[in-house]
Amino acid sequence: MAKARTPLGITAKQGLVTMVVVLVLGLAGSMMELYYDWHATRTQLATQVSQTLDTISGSAVEAAYQLSPDLSVRVVDGLLGHDIVAAVRLYDNFGDLLAEGRRPGDGAGSRLAQMLFGDMAEFKRTLVRDRGGANDGATVGELKVSLSVGAMTRGFYDRALVNAALGLLRSLAISALVVAVFYVMITRPLVRLAQLVGRIDPTRPGALLLPPLPGHETDELGQLAGSLNAMLVAAQQGMDQRDRAQAENVRLGTELEVSRRIQQMVLPTLGELAEIKGLDLAAYMEAATEVGGDYYDILKGENGRVRIGIGDVTGHGLESGVVMLMTQSAVRTLVTCDERDAVRLLDVLNRTIYHNTQRMGCDKNLTLALLDYRPEDSDAAAGHLRISGQHESVIVVRVGGDVELVDTIDLGLPLGLVDDIGSFVAETSIPLHAGDTVVLYTDGITEAADRDHNLYGLERLCETVRRHADQPATAIKDAVIADVKRHAGDQPLYDDLTLIVMKQN
Amino acid sequence: METVITGESYSLDWNPETRTAALKGILRLNGLEEYAPIARFLLDAVPHGSMTLDLRGLEFLNSSGIATLSKFVIEIRNRKTVDLTVLGSKAVAWQGKSLVNLGKLMPALRMEFV
Repeated sequence: MAKARTPLGITAKQGLVTMVVVLVLGLAGSMMELYYDWHATRTQLATQVSQTLDTISGSAVEAAYQLSPDLSVRVVDGLLGHDIVAAVRLYDNFGDLLAEGRRPGDGAGSRLAQMLFGDMAEFKRTLVRDRGGANDGATVGELKVSLSVGAMTRGFYDRALVNAALGLLRSLAISALVVAVFYVMITRPLVRLAQLVGRIDPTRPGALLLPPLPGHETDELGQLAGSLNAMLVAAQQGMDQRDRAQAENVRLGTELEVSRRIQQMVLPTLGELAEIKGLDLAAYMEAATEVGGDYYDILKGENGRVRIGIGDVTGHGLESGVVMLMTQSAVRTLVTCDERDAVRLLDVLNRTIYHNTQRMGCDKNLTLALLDYRPEDSDAAAGHLRISGQHESVIVVRVGGDVELVDTIDLGLPLGLVDDIGSFVAETSIPLHAGDTVVLYTDGITEAADRDHNLYGLERLCETVRRHADQPATAIKDAVIADVKRHAGDQPLYDDLTLIVMKQN
Repeated sequence: METVITGESYSLDWNPETRTAALKGILRLNGLEEYAPIARFLLDAVPHGSMTLDLRGLEFLNSSGIATLSKFVIEIRNRKTVDLTVLGSKAVAWQGKSLVNLGKLMPALRMEFV
């Protein structure tokens, strides 16, 4: 893999840009200087030549007037004594050459020199003789002077060279100064800031804050560092909050999942229900979004006996699930021990739950009804249902459609509320005949609310059961659950739904 | 009459002159923890003497709420310093059954159904 090119640092970039700008500006300045120098040189040259001609013109006029070759030669030599004069020609007023002189080896100069000064290489002066001081004399001849372009440009070139060299030096010096000042004042702290920011761990932005920049505590750089720190702290806080919320959500999610599993794992199986011959049984339980603490159990006993428990632990979540599990185990233990005395049974259950919830410090309690079914000795198609414990009213729909409600309020107290409920427990017994339907439920069914908080209610439950009472238990169960869901519509399930339907075969 | 606690669909009002705490609306809080502020206020409202708990305007109370009231009544019973009256409404379904329990928990409790 090709090695990545090291990117240009900010100082190098700034140095380059400064240098280019200063050079361009310097060049422009030098050009201006050269232009003015050129102009001044030309004026100066013109003046110089004019003055030279002025001083010599008297002698030249004399030489032309007298047509004196000697004087003419002296005039020409005199003019050639000046560096910039390359050639001189002196004519009389007939156009005849009187004298001529040329500096040897003095060429026309370079093309550039021709461009700069070529136009003023030739000077002509008409020679006029003064008569009595007035300038209206006759023309006596002409003086033609060719200037040496090389000599004219020599000084100009020298000055231009010095000018250019000085300009370059100045540009370099200014560039260096600007870069140095910038580096000390801005670039260095900025680079330092960039290094510090580069060290920040994006996953833990608040772990390493930027230290104050020496000398820049209060200026814009200091403010930048301050703002960055504030952002880092805010970002860290946001991340911490998010992490905490995520952890809490995971915890709650896990807890709800555990609660759901605890609740589901101890429910009687379909196979167990099918084994029970004297009764047609169907059961349904659905946990609320926040799992509640509904409990039910159906236990097959000897000689066609069936023990049923249904209850509702207050609250939601893991603790309610644990209390539900405890209740299930305790009920099953007592039933397995064949405890038949309802008062004793519920009293022991209550003490167990009460002392355990006290130990858990969780303040949970539950309604619990226990039902003990036994078939008639003489007639397998009839039986007795003994009910004890306080829970929702038990619905009995007789063959023919008569609905009876068995109020359980005086059959007990919620378990776990006080340590002794013995004096409140009672038992009631109802006879069952072939085709009679008994329905047990938790308040999740009757208190299922629609959008306007209208509760499903006991009345509607009874009516739905009555309408389907001639159907098998499973069909009645399905009809009730469908009707409850229809009622609740799109509202969330606030509480667990539990429903048990039993029919005397 | 001042409103002591208020929620999305419920309120707890307190009238110091008649020493009456009135719960109104629909109470469907989650677990006893969420009921704790209401329970604390009711327990601290009257150290001794007469107190009335007016539930006639409470259309709905879930099982955690009923448990909260039960615990409140047990605590009042144990203190033996407060003469408690509970006002209920025959028109509200949950009260007929659940308020009976309060009477069971505290035989000295006066229950008045309107």
